[in-house]
Amino acid sequence: MVLKNPVIAASGTFSFGAEYARVYDVSCLGGICTKGLTLHPRRGNPPPRLWETPCGLLNSIGLENPGVETFLREELPRMRDLGTVVIANIWGETPEEYGELAERLSGSGVDAIELNLSCPNVPGIGLLGGSAKGTAWAVRVARAACGEPLWVKLPPEGDVLGAARAAEKEGAEAISAANTFRGLAIDIATGRPVFANTFGGLSGPAIKPLALRLVYELSQAVSIPVIGIGGIASWEDALEFIMAGAHAVQVGTANFIDPLCAPRIIRGLEVFLKERGIETWEGIRGCAH
Amino acid sequence: MDRVAVRRAKVLCNEEVAPGVFLLRAGGEFSARPGQFYMVRAWELDPPLSRPLSVFDLSRDGISFLYAVRGRGTRLLSQLSPGDELALFGPLGNGWERTPGRVALVGGGLGIAPLYFTAKVFGEVDVYLGFRGRPYLVEEFRQVAARLHAASESGEGGEKGLVTELFSPEGYSACYACGPRPMLAALGKACRQAGVPLFVSLEERMACGLGACLGCTVLTKDGPKRVCQDGPVFRAEEVISLA
Repeated sequence: MVLKNPVIAASGTFSFGAEYARVYDVSCLGGICTKGLTLHPRRGNPPPRLWETPCGLLNSIGLENPGVETFLREELPRMRDLGTVVIANIWGETPEEYGELAERLSGSGVDAIELNLSCPNVPGIGLLGGSAKGTAWAVRVARAACGEPLWVKLPPEGDVLGAARAAEKEGAEAISAANTFRGLAIDIATGRPVFANTFGGLSGPAIKPLALRLVYELSQAVSIPVIGIGGIASWEDALEFIMAGAHAVQVGTANFIDPLCAPRIIRGLEVFLKERGIETWEGIRGCAH
Repeated sequence: MDRVAVRRAKVLCNEEVAPGVFLLRAGGEFSARPGQFYMVRAWELDPPLSRPLSVFDLSRDGISFLYAVRGRGTRLLSQLSPGDELALFGPLGNGWERTPGRVALVGGGLGIAPLYFTAKVFGEVDVYLGFRGRPYLVEEFRQVAARLHAASESGEGGEKGLVTELFSPEGYSACYACGPRPMLAALGKACRQAGVPLFVSLEERMACGLGACLGCTVLTKDGPKRVCQDGPVFRAEEVISLA
């Protein structure tokens, strides 16, 4: 599939797009990944859900979402009017649920489906995407259930390269790398973790070098496109990911740092290409290898 | 839905009105309804999040915020001098609506922050303020309140005790409150017994300020709601922890 530009809003930071449409014309984005969708509505984790760290943000939202049926009925029609590519991010409690979710979304009008195999904030099967076997299983089930392009969002830990190869083998169109790093904060007054679910997911500029290293490795491990995610907050950050081999990037926590971050990145990349007198990323993508 | 913008503004003054409590005023023409807030920052990447601050006052040529130094972000704000730049994102949140009749505004600690502008816009309201130590900004509040009552836990000014001991909902058609959760819970109980509607403004850690990240939700009778977008003002009986 072709995006109008390589800058996508990351799942969980952009809801279903309507909120940021109050700030700028989100049709400028290459695409929007929805909040993670589950078969049934989820209430998410109790507060606190956010914890700041130096240059980083720990979150423990816990996949609060209205469920796939409400998404299809109420959110998707509005999202399709936003004028950009819609990527439905889905999370299953079991590998089979990825199949059920993909089946419900099949033919609905979403442009792609991103399998979230890496949410750090819900108990259950854990990080399915941390192993080649778990990843292969989920992708196979989802692949059989829909015709839409499948993106596979992996965690930054575990056998990520093996999982990516398994996803490619099972017919994934792209690898989104990566989700948040599992982190921990402890309230020193109580001696207990600040989050009810103990661990949270670390995002933000603090993780950028770690995510960049992963994208660099993944882009050599697979031949399908890698979508870089992790701490991207400027066009220079985005360019580093492209030079490491990414075909596109997702902007997440930086939307909170600056609500206009994504359009600024798009503009910065356009200017970069124009100043070089080139029109595509061929020759730049992966040049760091 | 209203459009919401990120704007740059210059600090006009940033005065410590009580130990660790600052009143910051920035220049420019801004808009807000009573009870709304802005996401405020004066730094690049770190800390990542802007700070959600209620509008303390708004005039044709400026906007002001009352905040206490609690962590890295508010410490950086407290170090700003006239002429320094701020980024303001807003106005955000629902704010509160004036109901007819005689109404009371009750604030505890930094919870007094949204009440000044609210009293000014609503007009003819009784204001009750609670402080831990010596009261501050009392004269300013007196200018915008029909009647002003101040309480201090330490007894360093106003009446000694808690604002919830000073305030009785009897005779009011509605009450608007902002402050620590125990104060809101005590008010909730008093207002429920008196049959007076209570509107509370809640505080939570926020990331986006727009309703997108779901970081600031509060559990209500209708499920989780976003403090930034569905609130910060809620009817007290909706909020599980206050009901």
